[in-house]
Amino acid sequence: MLRPRPMKHVRLLVLTEDLPQASLALAQTESFHPDTRPPTESRLTGLPGRDYRDRYNQARSRLDKIAKLIDVPVEEEIQEVRVVELDELSALNDWLGQIWQKTSRYEEDLRRLDDQDRFVREQEAALENFQHLNIDLGMLRSRTRFLDFYVGIVPRENLRQLEGAVALADHLLHLYMQRGENAHVVIVGPTGTKETQLSAVLNAAGFQPIPIPDTLDETPEQIHNELEAQRQDIRDHREGVFQRLSEWSRGFSDRLVEARRTLRLAEPLVTLDPSLHSAGHLAYLAGWVPASEVDGLAGRLRETLSLPFEVQARDPLPEERKLVPTVPVRSRLLQPFALLVKQYGVPEYGEVDPTPLFAVTFLLMFGSMFGDVGQGAVIAALGWYFRTKLGRFGLFGVMAGLSSVAFGFLYGSIFGYEHVLPALWMSPIHDPILMLKIALGYGVVFLVIACLLAIYNRVVIRNWSGAVFGHHGLVNLVFYLSLVWGGLNLGTRGAFGNLPTILVIASLGALAWYNWRHLEAPLGEKVLVVFIETLETIIGYVSNTLSFLRVAAFSLNHVALSIAVFTLANMMGAFGHILTVILGNLFVLVLEGGIVMIQVMRLQYYEGFSRYFSGDGHEFAPLRLRRGTAPS
Amino acid sequence: MSSADRAYLNTRVAVMATQLLDPDTIGSLSQMQLPELADRFHLTPLLEEQQSPRSRSRAIEQALIQLLLGELQILIRPMSAAERAVVLAWGRKYALFNLKSLIRGKLHDLDQKEIRDNLFDLPANIRLPEQELFRAENVLELLRQLEAGPHSLIARQAREIYEQRREPFALEAAIDQRYYAGLVRQVMQFHDDNLQPLQHLVGAELDRIDLLWLLRFRFSYQLSPSETFFQLVPSMRLLHRDRLLGLVNLESFQRVIDSLPPPLDALLAESQTVIDVQRHMGRYVAREARRILRQSPSGVARALAYLMLREMDLFLLFALVQGRLLNLSSEVVDIALEITEPTCPWSGAKAA
Repeated sequence: MLRPRPMKHVRLLVLTEDLPQASLALAQTESFHPDTRPPTESRLTGLPGRDYRDRYNQARSRLDKIAKLIDVPVEEEIQEVRVVELDELSALNDWLGQIWQKTSRYEEDLRRLDDQDRFVREQEAALENFQHLNIDLGMLRSRTRFLDFYVGIVPRENLRQLEGAVALADHLLHLYMQRGENAHVVIVGPTGTKETQLSAVLNAAGFQPIPIPDTLDETPEQIHNELEAQRQDIRDHREGVFQRLSEWSRGFSDRLVEARRTLRLAEPLVTLDPSLHSAGHLAYLAGWVPASEVDGLAGRLRETLSLPFEVQARDPLPEERKLVPTVPVRSRLLQPFALLVKQYGVPEYGEVDPTPLFAVTFLLMFGSMFGDVGQGAVIAALGWYFRTKLGRFGLFGVMAGLSSVAFGFLYGSIFGYEHVLPALWMSPIHDPILMLKIALGYGVVFLVIACLLAIYNRVVIRNWSGAVFGHHGLVNLVFYLSLVWGGLNLGTRGAFGNLPTILVIASLGALAWYNWRHLEAPLGEKVLVVFIETLETIIGYVSNTLSFLRVAAFSLNHVALSIAVFTLANMMGAFGHILTVILGNLFVLVLEGGIVMIQVMRLQYYEGFSRYFSGDGHEFAPLRLRRGTAPS
Repeated sequence: MSSADRAYLNTRVAVMATQLLDPDTIGSLSQMQLPELADRFHLTPLLEEQQSPRSRSRAIEQALIQLLLGELQILIRPMSAAERAVVLAWGRKYALFNLKSLIRGKLHDLDQKEIRDNLFDLPANIRLPEQELFRAENVLELLRQLEAGPHSLIARQAREIYEQRREPFALEAAIDQRYYAGLVRQVMQFHDDNLQPLQHLVGAELDRIDLLWLLRFRFSYQLSPSETFFQLVPSMRLLHRDRLLGLVNLESFQRVIDSLPPPLDALLAESQTVIDVQRHMGRYVAREARRILRQSPSGVARALAYLMLREMDLFLLFALVQGRLLNLSSEVVDIALEITEPTCPWSGAKAA
């Protein structure tokens, strides 16, 4: 369970004509993880999937853009799997290109109507502003004999620069209103030779003239009604555009659904593109396949490919270890824990998968630090109730809650009441020293297991020196066990003991010697580094072991918090008592529950994973054919 | 930024600044042949992988830009949000190079591969959403898509101008103008000790850009004073708004040069052509950047000054490599490296 699924490197040679069919067959097996490394054979320089990929990407992009404007019904699950050849894909791409060309015109119409609508709103605001002026605005409508008028809006960011530019053309700019990103301006200047100059500048500045209506001398209400009519007209136009679009698209709606299905069938070959290489008619692709699936994959290819092909499978080479994907844990119970492990990293191929160990130690630590039948049951019930929203974490909540319930029975604690339920063992507060001893013992066992796993992980990859002298290797383990032994002697007999002392000194000496040999630095620096690293080994193991005291501390803390809640509750009347107990339990549940969770994760990641788990691997992501009904 | 971060940034800049090329090194580089250059700057694999001079040149350019932007990424790590924003705003010029390549590609209906070959591979916090922009099938659609992202100001103005005038020059001028206006806006966000050195640094760059654009727009493209002024981005240094208003109204190249404020008047007194001006203004910006790198207490200004100088060095190196790839004569390469002055008889009057 801790070991990864064995993988094989599979090399497939097919004729290029059979590539679409081969990609579909591989996708159907869901066991082929493409290897994108170029082949060692120098003649395989062709990229047979490149054209196919480019056409697919363009067609897909066109369909996505079309689907933003035209409702493409969700297609049903793909029943019949068929090969999509390059010619069919090209024809589909061309057809989608034509459809998009027409659709984009509708899109541009809609955008233009949006711009018009915005402009009418600006116009309305401008005219409302003019309404308060005591001048004849009719004069702004047309140029006079001596003066030119421009009334309009300009993007605010261009205002200052435009002001200078119009001044150079002997005009004045007056800002009379700012709305959002637009500035409303009046530009006035002498009629004459610089109009062309000005017009070029106004164009460059994005100036939009606001027409002054002929009916400006009418009542404000009439003007408002006219503008409202314009907006209604724009709305009608928009509806018209949508209607025309809908009528036009009705004729090919089914074809769009079919296009989406076709693209889904073409997808596997596109996904394979970076792994595909060819020479003439011979195509090469490689990938990683779980060893148990290789025969099935070869059988599937034999069933579906009509032209000759060759499949070769071999074990991964030692230097390829980092490239081999790791198949994730499949057990439903372990899934939520796998997600938390993934936050740290994916196990490298060959490395122990820490998920099962993580799950067991997590539940042990959480339950022992937060042991309460009632509060645990609430956590489990919430996890179960919100299981659809929480997904895999729903199950995680249920298991953490049940662990808390189990330890609650051991401690005899329910919603903080310590005397209602008979303890199967004892309440932590009854013997805090014993609790601390157990936590310390647990810490030692945890760290020893972590060191053993670290040694195992190095042995698997034949890193012998790392397994013996590396961080948390065999010598470190000997040192740690000797230290623990000596510590126990000191506690029980009052003396560290000769053999543990010799072992501690010998193991530290061996580590220092190893570090000295592998350090390339001047003598002084070497002495300093070796001394500090040796010291760090001692301090590290001692402090890491003491770190587990928090397991006991939180179990005590839980009881202490409950006592505090009940002390407060006892100071109240009957109603106040009940209310304080409820609120106190909520407080403990949320605050302490959260803190315990964080502390457990910290112990797992820092004291556990950092010792033996590199997390440098990558997950097995096989080629798949998406058959689902959900829109892509 | 905490004092530890400031110390880290200053140390980083100081260490990186040791890579900057001094005149003696440039002189010795100009004597090197391609294999020696490639060996010294670790470009050999790039030259070996590519076949044609064009693809080699492109690969080298890409590698040098990646080197520059990689250093930019390192320098922004300890910076505060505002400091990071100003340095990234400067680096976004490369994203706009890509945007211009995309626009030109769409305008001339080039195929996707050809467009893609002309795009730089940029870090995520600088690049445009290229994959989405690639999906656009014409310039208008491309700009509409860009409008939905962080470049909305640039894109909206570019689209409006394109819709009105349908000419690439106006479009690219608008993009450049919005880029520099955005950089100024980022600088003006500071209200602390960083403001003045950043104003000096970015102001010097704007002095250079403004003077070159002014001379080109007025005398090469024959734009009116008001059109020219509108395209410029007033500097916070010498060529501020009022001065630009005066300069764009002048009728000849020489009168513009004569009316420049000190020290530009003395610096450009002998300049006869836009190329002369470009050369001298480049030195002026480099001098200002070196001064800030050496003396300024502002970490972000020093980092930006370093990046500007590093960019100049890498462009120089690229010019040298390209000269060697194209087998240009050493005289031409020396002119590009500014080791010798050009002796071509092209006059300022012609440029005007």
